[in-house]
Amino acid sequence: MIAKNKTRIQLPGDQSNFAIAVQHLTVSYGPVPALLDISVQVPSGKLVGVIGPNGSGKSTFIKSILGFVKPDVGKVELFGEDTSHTKDRVAYVPQRGTVDWDFPITVREVAAMGRYGKRRWWQDLKKEDYAAADEALEKVRMSEFSTRQIGQLSGGQQQRVFMARALTQNADVLLLDEPFAGVDAATERAILDVLHETKENGKTVVVVHHDLATAAEFFDLLLLLKQRLFAFGPPRQVLDPELLADVYEGNLRVFADLAQSMRSS
Amino acid sequence: MDWLEGLQLDYGHVIRPLIVGTLVSIVCSVLGCFIVLRKMSFLADAIAHSMLAGVIAGYLLIKITLGREAELGALLIGALLAGIVTVAMVGFVTRFSRIKQDTAIGIMYTGLFALGAFVISIKYFGSMIHVDIYHYILGNVLSVPDEELWLLAIVTSVVLSVVILFYRPLQLTSFDPIMAASIGIPVLAVEYLLTVCTSLVVVSGVQIAGVILVVALIITPAATAYLLSDRLDRMIFLSAIIGVFGFWLGFALATFAGASPGASVVVTMTFIFLLTMTFAPRYGLIADWIRKSSTIPQEIMEDVLGAVLRAQGKSVPISEIERTVTTRNMKIRQAITMLGRQDLVDVDHDQVCLTEAGEIEANRLVRAHRLWETYLEQTGTPEKELHNKAHKLEHISDQATVEYLDDVLGHPISDPHGSVIPADASQIGPDREFVSSLLREGNRASVQRVGALADSFGFKPGDTITMGKRSDGGRTWTLIAEDGRELKLDHEQADSLVVRMTP
Repeated sequence: MIAKNKTRIQLPGDQSNFAIAVQHLTVSYGPVPALLDISVQVPSGKLVGVIGPNGSGKSTFIKSILGFVKPDVGKVELFGEDTSHTKDRVAYVPQRGTVDWDFPITVREVAAMGRYGKRRWWQDLKKEDYAAADEALEKVRMSEFSTRQIGQLSGGQQQRVFMARALTQNADVLLLDEPFAGVDAATERAILDVLHETKENGKTVVVVHHDLATAAEFFDLLLLLKQRLFAFGPPRQVLDPELLADVYEGNLRVFADLAQSMRSS
Repeated sequence: MDWLEGLQLDYGHVIRPLIVGTLVSIVCSVLGCFIVLRKMSFLADAIAHSMLAGVIAGYLLIKITLGREAELGALLIGALLAGIVTVAMVGFVTRFSRIKQDTAIGIMYTGLFALGAFVISIKYFGSMIHVDIYHYILGNVLSVPDEELWLLAIVTSVVLSVVILFYRPLQLTSFDPIMAASIGIPVLAVEYLLTVCTSLVVVSGVQIAGVILVVALIITPAATAYLLSDRLDRMIFLSAIIGVFGFWLGFALATFAGASPGASVVVTMTFIFLLTMTFAPRYGLIADWIRKSSTIPQEIMEDVLGAVLRAQGKSVPISEIERTVTTRNMKIRQAITMLGRQDLVDVDHDQVCLTEAGEIEANRLVRAHRLWETYLEQTGTPEKELHNKAHKLEHISDQATVEYLDDVLGHPISDPHGSVIPADASQIGPDREFVSSLLREGNRASVQRVGALADSFGFKPGDTITMGKRSDGGRTWTLIAEDGRELKLDHEQADSLVVRMTP
């Protein structure tokens, strides 16, 4: 059941250049660890997809980068600093289901939330904060909706607003939890464009993704998780049928998806 | 303070309750916004109920340790104690047992309320406690002593200061706690802060409405404001206004009718809520109903198009359409106006005819209807039901569905009644490549690509072919080559040949 280590891909390079450096990370909520002995270095300026079956620890991995969970073993560093000191360097885009869409808040206010971390908690936002929010909304092509209540948008538009919020945070590392789940093709394109543009500006973007069919097309690097790190590298290397068969334990749908993606690429 | 005393001498019986009520209403309804948005209403109610136990515990504590009758201190300590204990117990039960939060709250607040009632009904303790318990249970805004007025003023300013100072952390942790945590806001601490504020606000609200009704002062104005606003700052502002207005109106009503002020205020606020729920401009029931009824169902528009199409190019009087299209709500004229706006029909002196785009659209619908009918017939639907069922299903006419039906039925030319199924103009337009099975008799097309299955027929890209008559119940395609050869293809072979229409 366990993949041989020969398939693990190590990227050579200078350690200090890495946006995210994970060393021997083990996290557990019970007797079975959610993550076991993960070591991986993500170079900055890349678009990285985190893939793996349900319950494979993808969310825990993201939480570790956010500094939300205390590792049992190991550590996570962003640009050489421990995650407890890097709050202003990461931005998080939540999964759609975790937000109350009836909340009385406008699109512009949501985008401006990205600046909350830059102000003391009693201070009001300044003009330049709203200017940053407007600029980010412009980038994701949501300016015309800025006075709308957030729940009045379509799912894809909401996703774009949250992208704008992450851009407003001006963080170096962006973490997105399943941004492509349940969005239409046009939105998928729009989100992807923003992600690419963000990457081009030197940011590191890490995306939890579960559609293997699109994984190769969307990302520069893939990180295949199931409790342990099974592979990290360019999609061609990670999407190895033998390796996937191991990780997904013969889940047929996955292979149908993959065959399709291989044909189209 | 001279003016205050002067006022009290003259109008004390009215002025003082109004001051108390205004303060309490503001603070309750402002904090209520956060309680409503964080879905903590039930917890606020729980804190209010368990306050009874808290007050008694606080009173006994002070009496036993300091030997004093300190009702005010008991009130404050008791309320905070009750709040913290309730929240802690609920958290404990939810976390360490399989009981869910709503049940845990129900168990804990009734338990604590009963504990208070139990202790005070024991003679030994009852004789020690000189508290008017009914004051807490029912509230009494008419007899608030001086020191409690001060307490209220302090509670109000503390809670309002917290809301103003912590506005952004409160907003963000309510809206998106994960993001809040990711930028370093102590989410748990903010929640505790809110719990303490809730306890304080309950203390103040109890003066008016008592522990049983106090939650109404907190959540009803906030919920009303929620239906009226799209921004949190406006919701808070509106909530305060609604709270104060509700109190004054309710208080006036109570004075006028000689009723209990607490009950009267809550009844008034509830009434205001129901009015708002009905008449709110965006989220109200009437607005919702108008929105729904002003949209013309797609089906009616499609039926109107079909009716005009049946006139075969002639224009149709509106009265005729109204006769043929049967619909329960009479929206045909609106539907026609809407179709006119979409440039699908031209209306001239009550005569309706299709535009070019309208004809394409109508044909698309006829195609969907007839394909559905064919499909239903082949899947064994009784003949009597065919038309009605297809009439319902034809409104499911998106491109992908219709193309699927067409393909799975083998691109039929006519429906079960023998009517011709129109070809999809967009599918076989001159600017598109498509499979030869879509060609109709007489169509001329040039071969683009030849797939493996059609290999044996000797077509080459660039050849011009003409589609002949379909035979064998529509299952065999006949292609006529340039040199006059007639070739018989089945569905899959015809699909293997990609062509483009020649003009």
